[in-house]
Amino acid sequence: MARMKFLCDAERCIECNGCVTACKQENEVPWGVNRRRVVTLNDGVPGEKSISVACMHCSDAPCMAVCPVDVFYRTEEGVVLHDKDMCIGCGYCFYACPFGAPQFPQAGAFGMRGKMDKCTFCAGGPEKDNSKEEFAKYGSNRLAQGKLPACAEMCATKALLGGDGDVIADIFRDRALKRGKGAEVWGWSTAYGKPDKAQQPAPKGGKS
Amino acid sequence: MRANVSGVRHFFLGLMLLLPLSGGTAYAQAQESRMDQTQAQRQQVQPGNNAPVWRDVRSGKEGYTSIQGRETGVLIQTEGETWRRLRNGPITLYGGWWVVLTLIALGLFYKLRGPMGLHSPPSGKMIERFSSFERMAHWTMAISFCILAVTGLVMLFGKHVLLPLIGHTLFSWLAEVGKILHNFTGPIFMFSIVVFVVTFIRDNFPRAYDITWLVKGGGVLTGEVVPAGRFNAGEKIWFWGGVIGLGIVASASGLVLDFPNFDQSRWLMMLANIVHVIAGILFITWGLSHIYLGTVGTTGAYEGMRNGYVDETWAREHAQYWYDDVKAGRRELPSGAPGAAAAATAPPQVQH
Repeated sequence: MARMKFLCDAERCIECNGCVTACKQENEVPWGVNRRRVVTLNDGVPGEKSISVACMHCSDAPCMAVCPVDVFYRTEEGVVLHDKDMCIGCGYCFYACPFGAPQFPQAGAFGMRGKMDKCTFCAGGPEKDNSKEEFAKYGSNRLAQGKLPACAEMCATKALLGGDGDVIADIFRDRALKRGKGAEVWGWSTAYGKPDKAQQPAPKGGKS
Repeated sequence: MRANVSGVRHFFLGLMLLLPLSGGTAYAQAQESRMDQTQAQRQQVQPGNNAPVWRDVRSGKEGYTSIQGRETGVLIQTEGETWRRLRNGPITLYGGWWVVLTLIALGLFYKLRGPMGLHSPPSGKMIERFSSFERMAHWTMAISFCILAVTGLVMLFGKHVLLPLIGHTLFSWLAEVGKILHNFTGPIFMFSIVVFVVTFIRDNFPRAYDITWLVKGGGVLTGEVVPAGRFNAGEKIWFWGGVIGLGIVASASGLVLDFPNFDQSRWLMMLANIVHVIAGILFITWGLSHIYLGTVGTTGAYEGMRNGYVDETWAREHAQYWYDDVKAGRRELPSGAPGAAAAATAPPQVQH
């Protein structure tokens, strides 16, 4: 059985936010909720890198561990899903998640939280696959239709990969090898740097 | 010869010690200079190596994002894991046992000591102990406290205790009602604390006789009648440490959690949650002891808070200095009527 994963290639992401838009369009997410977002580090300076992030469907999911009503479950493909009918809107999953994936639509005054919403890996929820109820609560169930998540499928530069962990790992390994660095990419100089003679003059005289 | 061998040995020993040390520092320095590199600098010497960026990702550094919301620019926050370990670990485990042990201790105490009764027979003549306003202040606080305590316990322990018994559907409904009740009762409780403190602070200032009372443990174990003011030292400690101390801590942390609409950071809310849970558990266990002493633990105490009147024998044995002051006309009754006048209109019955 495949273990579903997301992988974002920081060398390829161009911060077009196409994945964010694709997700919103595909799943018709509630107002104010973004299941996916693109974050750019070193924005506007050399060395800028963008990464798209959403729920990473952890094996040891912190959201699942802290939920006081135990609404989370993991599918056979390793996708972390939740039952909105039982969610009480306490916000604990939002505290615990390293990726900021759980989102809460506002349900009343004083920022009262509604039912949690997060990326489902386009795998819906506990309702019948591709039913009206499932779509209304969780959005599209593309996995049940034999498709991969809309964000990764839509990605123009194929920076965002989503699917069987083994397959996307192979794709990424191929890329790394073909990026003009040959075997060196996993070699000594990548891990430890090339000896830089200008910066580190050889010690003069004496024995170490 | 012997000295020579030892000298050679020392030389090699020194060399063995020095070599890795000098090599280690050089390595550490090179490592450090690489750690300081920005992504731009790193790309110059090692194209395709994004280690500086991934280090920033891991450190929780905030980047740019077009998505509006709380900390959306942070890719990875590590505080959540710390909070999870604390909450799911020691807080749930030791907090749970602390509540259970408190209940067992109270049960044992009741079994061994039993209720603290009166030493003299009741006089049959009642004296006003609490005005209706004072009782209202107490019960508003007490009822909201109980709602908060039960719903709070469900939030922390329900998953382990109730959920396996009643199932997901019923438990999630209960937890949802509980969460809403908790969030709306909290501010009522806070308001009631303010009213309560203003109402009762006058009789809760420490007095010299409180030390005697504490040294004798209130006569709880010995059965001795220890004189006290309107409130004994135990009640005063509960007033300052519990109602005011824990009240402030639980209220302040609770407000951070109850109003998430001010864009406070996740870490602040996690911190508030930990403080709130610890304060809550201490509050609940201390409150259980107070409830025990105010109901089954002390004969006549509950009636005093329920109806506002206690038997004069009860007043004399539990709050002698207050009783004497009222009887001597040095202070008025809780409702404001003059104490001595009340005694004059209804002379006390003959004491046995």
